[in-house]
Amino acid sequence: MTLGDLWLQQLINGLNLGAMYSLLALGFTLVYCIMELINFSHFNVFMVGAFIALGVLKLMGMDGQSVILTGLPLIGVLTLTFLITMFSSGMIGVGIERLLLRPLRAVTGPAAMILTIGVSYILFNIILIGIGGDTRNFANPLPSVAWNIGGAVLRMRDVLIWGITIVLMLGLTYFVQYTKLGKGMRATAQDPEAARMMGVEVDNVVALSFFIGSALAGASGLIFGLYYNYAKVDMGFAAGLRAFTAAVLGGIGNVPGAMLGGVLIGLIESGSSQLIGQLWADVVIFSILVIVLVFRPAGLLGRQAPNKS
Amino acid sequence: MASAFTTLINRPFASWSQDKRQLWATILLTAVFAIYPLLTDDDSNIDTIANAMSYATLALGLNIVVGFAGLLDLGYAAFFAIGAYYYGIFTAYQIMPPWSEAWAPLAYVGLVEKINQGGPDLVHFTLSFWLALPTGALVAGFFGVLFGAPTLKLRGDYLAIVTLGFGEIVPILARNMESVTNGAAGLNGVKGPTIPAIKAFGFDGYSFGVAATPYYYVGMVLVAILVFSSIRLRDSRIGRAWMAVREDETAASAMGINLRNFKLLAFAIGASFSGFTGVFFVSKLQVATPEMFNFSVSSMLIVMVVLGGMGSVWGVVLGAGLLQLLQTWILPQTTNVLHDIGHAIGSDILIAADLVQWTQMFFGIIIVVMMLFRRDGLIPATRTQPKLEMEEQQADVKRGGFVNVDRIEKWNPGTGNALEIKDVTVRFGGLVALNKVNLTVPAGGVIAVIGPNGSGKSTLFNAITGLVPAEGSIKFEGMELIGLRPDEVLEKGVARTFQNIRLFPKLTVLENVLIGQHCRLKTLPFGAIFRPPAAKAEEAGALRKALDIIGLFGNRLTPRANHMVAGLSYANRRRVEVSRALASRPRILLLDEPTAGMNPNETLELAEQIGELNAMGLTILIIEHKLDVVTRLANRVTVLDHGDVIAEGTANEVQRNEEVLTAYLGRAHRAKIEAQDAAAKENANG
Repeated sequence: MTLGDLWLQQLINGLNLGAMYSLLALGFTLVYCIMELINFSHFNVFMVGAFIALGVLKLMGMDGQSVILTGLPLIGVLTLTFLITMFSSGMIGVGIERLLLRPLRAVTGPAAMILTIGVSYILFNIILIGIGGDTRNFANPLPSVAWNIGGAVLRMRDVLIWGITIVLMLGLTYFVQYTKLGKGMRATAQDPEAARMMGVEVDNVVALSFFIGSALAGASGLIFGLYYNYAKVDMGFAAGLRAFTAAVLGGIGNVPGAMLGGVLIGLIESGSSQLIGQLWADVVIFSILVIVLVFRPAGLLGRQAPNKS
Repeated sequence: MASAFTTLINRPFASWSQDKRQLWATILLTAVFAIYPLLTDDDSNIDTIANAMSYATLALGLNIVVGFAGLLDLGYAAFFAIGAYYYGIFTAYQIMPPWSEAWAPLAYVGLVEKINQGGPDLVHFTLSFWLALPTGALVAGFFGVLFGAPTLKLRGDYLAIVTLGFGEIVPILARNMESVTNGAAGLNGVKGPTIPAIKAFGFDGYSFGVAATPYYYVGMVLVAILVFSSIRLRDSRIGRAWMAVREDETAASAMGINLRNFKLLAFAIGASFSGFTGVFFVSKLQVATPEMFNFSVSSMLIVMVVLGGMGSVWGVVLGAGLLQLLQTWILPQTTNVLHDIGHAIGSDILIAADLVQWTQMFFGIIIVVMMLFRRDGLIPATRTQPKLEMEEQQADVKRGGFVNVDRIEKWNPGTGNALEIKDVTVRFGGLVALNKVNLTVPAGGVIAVIGPNGSGKSTLFNAITGLVPAEGSIKFEGMELIGLRPDEVLEKGVARTFQNIRLFPKLTVLENVLIGQHCRLKTLPFGAIFRPPAAKAEEAGALRKALDIIGLFGNRLTPRANHMVAGLSYANRRRVEVSRALASRPRILLLDEPTAGMNPNETLELAEQIGELNAMGLTILIIEHKLDVVTRLANRVTVLDHGDVIAEGTANEVQRNEEVLTAYLGRAHRAKIEAQDAAAKENANG
């Protein structure tokens, strides 16, 4: 491999990571722009999503990398897995909001954020105790089709991951921009009180933002499994922190910002692995987080958060 | 008789003062813990309690950051790691640079020794535990400032995530910087403390080794020191400033608290508590590995603080103790009981149950339950409020201003102009909120600013007090105010109240007024903890002054001095806000709609009190909508509309100004004025 090939390979890797982080970052951003809350439970909704996907794939007869599908069966299995995973993760998010966060909506201060740390713990331990803390081989039906571009390898799964991510993002953008509920969501983000008076059912909007955010986290968990071929109970922490960094980098509360930030963080991670080693990638990413927050707290595309004064 | 009996049964020490009860409870608690190791042979129990003590010290440090100052630090274990590695690196046998003569002076004072393990001579660090404790605290405190400086400007929730990142980076560094930290394998064989021999007394020295008891006593002393320091800090100028920052940063800044310094101070003191404990912990365990300091430690400490009560000193000690009890006793014992039951009834599920695995699950459940149902923790930091007697609750609205005015020092207004505002412009993006506003307040005068809502009145106050950036010139007694921070403006002698009352709601009336005096007091952390005579006298003086100021309002505030502000009536909160501003001993007072929301009687009362303040020599700039108040008080009136000054003159003049009538006062007022003028004319003619 030449140096150019190496960088091309890191670009491909970085875009995969970026796709994952973008989807995860969207969940942080959606909840933040509606409620101005950093939702720590999101870290582990992502992890639980990966395990749900693993379970669904196993139920459909996939086992490790032994069953390989092509054509229509592959599309069917993947579509079904994505739908079930996203719906279940979304419902976990709605459950957290409805049962635990709604009673704290009127409480000022960090109580709600601290509560989500507790929820994150509980989700973590449900999987740890129920399934175990060891690394699980992910059920992966993708054929190992790959193309060589110079010395770099572009696998079919890379293209698939990008495709799915783009479809999800387009869907979200359409929903937020053009549907009635999406408009209600944007109105709530700007001013919950005024939105309520204009007939937006704010409770539903909040629940919806949790549903969409968590569903995307589930999709992201599934992509993590397909990409890395494993799932592990502690996978949520590092990925979640990077995704949060992505959301802040793009401008927290800003939907296109989360997408952009996610891709950038993915590229930065693969790039810094290449330049100074995997061990230091996290140090680079968190340094970026601090630098962005200190010098440009609004992020690259600007922060959008409710107007609570 | 019966009631005395029930009192004796229910509250046997009710006749003692609260201080006395607390003192004796502390003494009793100390005695129990001091005697305990003598009564038991079980070293593991002693060891467990010693561990609980080190967690308690960590939780106490975190409580200063999170509980007192309200800065949610999720990476607190980083400072613990720094303290631990500091001591580990300077005593363990893993880190040994080659010997050269440059080390000789350090060897002479006993900090290093030359050793030879077959090969070249090496340097072995031999830092004494007793020296490492305070220096470890300093080192961690230094890193606290280093980490804190760039991040403390951030909003609370951002701070949480950045500290989480820092907490992640420090173990990664410990793992990756192998030449200094021995990497993932960590440091082992860290030296335990020794007490050097004192030959003169026939004492041969003592090495702690692996026995638990000596660590237990050192731990106990550490907890005692940190509890003492925490309480002393909390009840001082420093602690009040932290709580003000926690409750409302803007108001804290406007009341003279330097936000950056006090946040950094909280971070540094919290970090140094943690570094202190790190030294102790690693000397006890005699190993240090990167895994000992990851997020689970930080979050366990958060659980302790949340369980005990944020900001509650004894609460977090209790929280640390309970969590340690849960991990080392309740869960294993319950597991044993489950196993016994399982064997008895033949249930495989119960036999296989292992609740110790559930420890972290319980942490999560504790956080959720506490946040939902008891956010103030097991021992809430807010004290019980004294009940009011019947006559204390009654206060008649009366004319005639303040009572006991003679207790307040008069002002010497000086001569010339107190405040000179020249061409002040404030822009918010494209919106010009103030457009080249000119205003002069003569020393000892009362100037009113009126105008419709949104005309820029409050923005003018914000520009004067440094809350919004402005162009132009604002000179107070010749000193330029533009460019100063709000706390610097207050220190110069410009105090304000806010249109929508910004008190510190969870603090008492007295605490609010004491915070007003912040910039006039000088106590620093050392003085706050050790209370030398000067610090004591200053605090007593501040308390007396605060009582004198709230005493001005007679029966309204004095009986409620120890009540939380959140529970006061609207008018009383206004009075507290005026008191808080007066406490800073201002030379000019900026009142932003002081009578808003008051009934006509209360309005009249406050108006007379403001007049009285002016009569005592205080210069006043007031924003007010109620024209009768303005007419009664103001020497001159400035009218703002859409950021422009549209009129200036006496109250009588501006009321008749055509532009003012159109923009602000309206047709009804015009009719009223015309009727008045006609009546006056008739009187003059007749």
